[in-house]
Amino acid sequence: MAQEQTSAPAAPISEAALALEYAIPPRQRFNLLSWARREPFGAVGLLLIIIVSFSAAAAPILNTANPTQFGVGGSLESPSLDHWFGTGPRGKDLWSRVLYGGRISLKIGVATVLVGTLAGTVIALLSAYAGGGVDFVVGRLADMIIAIPGILLALTLYSAVGQDLPDLPGLSRGEFTLVIAISAFFLPGTYRIMRGMVLELRESQYVESAQVVGASNIRIMWRHIAPNMFGLMIVVTSISLPAAILTEASLSFLGLGVETGTPSWGADLSGSSRQFFVRAPWLAIFPGLALSITVFGFNIFGDSLRDTLDPRLRGRI
Amino acid sequence: MTGYIIRRLIAVPFMMLGISLILFLLLYIRPGSAAFAAVASIGDADPGSFERFEERFGLNRPWYEQYGDWLLGAFRGDLGETLTPPHDGVTGQILERLPNTIEVGLLTIFIAAVFGISVGVLSAVKRNSLLDYSLRTITIAGISIPNFWIAVLFVTLPAIWWEWTPFAFRWVSFTENPFDNLAIVIWPAVTLALASAAGTARLVRTSMLEVLYSDYVRTARAKGLRERGVILGHVFRNSLIPVITLIGLQTGAVLGGVVIAELIFGIPGLGRLTLDAVLAQDYPLVLGSIMMFSLVFILVTLIVDVLYSVVDPRIRY
Repeated sequence: MAQEQTSAPAAPISEAALALEYAIPPRQRFNLLSWARREPFGAVGLLLIIIVSFSAAAAPILNTANPTQFGVGGSLESPSLDHWFGTGPRGKDLWSRVLYGGRISLKIGVATVLVGTLAGTVIALLSAYAGGGVDFVVGRLADMIIAIPGILLALTLYSAVGQDLPDLPGLSRGEFTLVIAISAFFLPGTYRIMRGMVLELRESQYVESAQVVGASNIRIMWRHIAPNMFGLMIVVTSISLPAAILTEASLSFLGLGVETGTPSWGADLSGSSRQFFVRAPWLAIFPGLALSITVFGFNIFGDSLRDTLDPRLRGRI
Repeated sequence: MTGYIIRRLIAVPFMMLGISLILFLLLYIRPGSAAFAAVASIGDADPGSFERFEERFGLNRPWYEQYGDWLLGAFRGDLGETLTPPHDGVTGQILERLPNTIEVGLLTIFIAAVFGISVGVLSAVKRNSLLDYSLRTITIAGISIPNFWIAVLFVTLPAIWWEWTPFAFRWVSFTENPFDNLAIVIWPAVTLALASAAGTARLVRTSMLEVLYSDYVRTARAKGLRERGVILGHVFRNSLIPVITLIGLQTGAVLGGVVIAELIFGIPGLGRLTLDAVLAQDYPLVLGSIMMFSLVFILVTLIVDVLYSVVDPRIRY
């Protein structure tokens, strides 16, 4: 309130200030400590993300056994100094599996959200700019895909493209299929949000000025609109990431995830291991806990990132 | 208003037509694989059986002929035969399973709305108190914990602590014995409702806070209305608008979650049918059941949009 009163009656609003309304705000020195004090939830989230990412990245150093090897311990041993999280029915070390499971979750989650957000943004830019029939068709297509409940769309895509994809470097066939199936889940939603933003930006004065000067559509899209969508893209990415991780885990839980035997939090909670949960509850506890903590960290970090970057989005995404 | 509802209802068949084409292309365009997978799943090693199978189900014809046939059948309510024996009608199977899924879904949405709205209102009215902070932490945790893990814990923990499993009875349909049926169905509903309730509570809190500081609420207080009257008469009703949208959107997540909950709690519903169909690569069944899910989702979205204008008379279509 006080701030408003000191600055409001000042000079009449200049054209430049109007144009800046939607432009990138002036660069401020970012102070991590003061941000952490303002956004304690976000700071906790960031800390959790760092811990989880570090454990996943350093899994080959932190692990105590090969996660896929049978019989490194006895069958269904409870947590001990040798096997921190206990062992599975055939003597696999659970601590090592949980560490490596984080790799799959993060890899699929990040790849999915990157594909979904980038594709959604590019399609939104192109279709909003093309306008007319193209925009209409793409919009209706998005309506239809949104009408298929997410997990079910992923199930369909999984069975449709399942065996036809190649192995990519760093991304196995199963992982690639998951990325395609899950990013389709985010594509239409991202497209809708981004299209709204493109339409808003297109009416802004600096785009109008660029048009007057004679800039081409491509130049306007690339130089004037796209850079201003970057903040929203980051927010959408960080909000979608936990959902993507959960979807991967759900699909793996349903038996449609990565190749059998690969350590994955979702898969380790499902299938044949479920019959042992009553006798060996650690099998049910640790992978689920790791998954929940990861998603929790990304959720609270994403929320406070949204509030920091663009408070107008609160309640919208 | 009536005109709007009619226009929306007319759009539904077109949406379904579009969705069916998308799904059909996704599922059928893999040449020969449908028959191959189906024959392989039967375990028939006779080389001629593959061709006979294709012939019998018309899988060797071009896709547009197959789609045309399927569409003609769909208009008459016949969604084809399942590829897996005993080759029942898809429609019959779906209609047999649908009521159970709708029961779980409705119960979930009801529980989620009741809990979500109460917790959200409580959190907003007692904002920045210890209660508010605890509820907010719990709700963020609620949207972070995967529903399948909650379901697994529901099944596992009581068995460990009290040697009792909540769901270990035989499936009883609603018509057979409503009370026994509810005693089973309540578990998947509670499981799925947790995440939705947490999401709802967060949105109710945010939107209540927005309304709490608006001018008309100040006016209501100024004219001497009791706090109770302000909250119920002015704040609550107005903050409900975004919540209705969210509950509509959450239906998508609930319909996806049903697949998981039905698997874990052994409910013979549509979600279970879809998952089995995907795993068996029974394409007509996958197509039919996902179409049914989408239809339910589209109709729920339509109802939500109509409810919108009931709650907020300012909205005119």
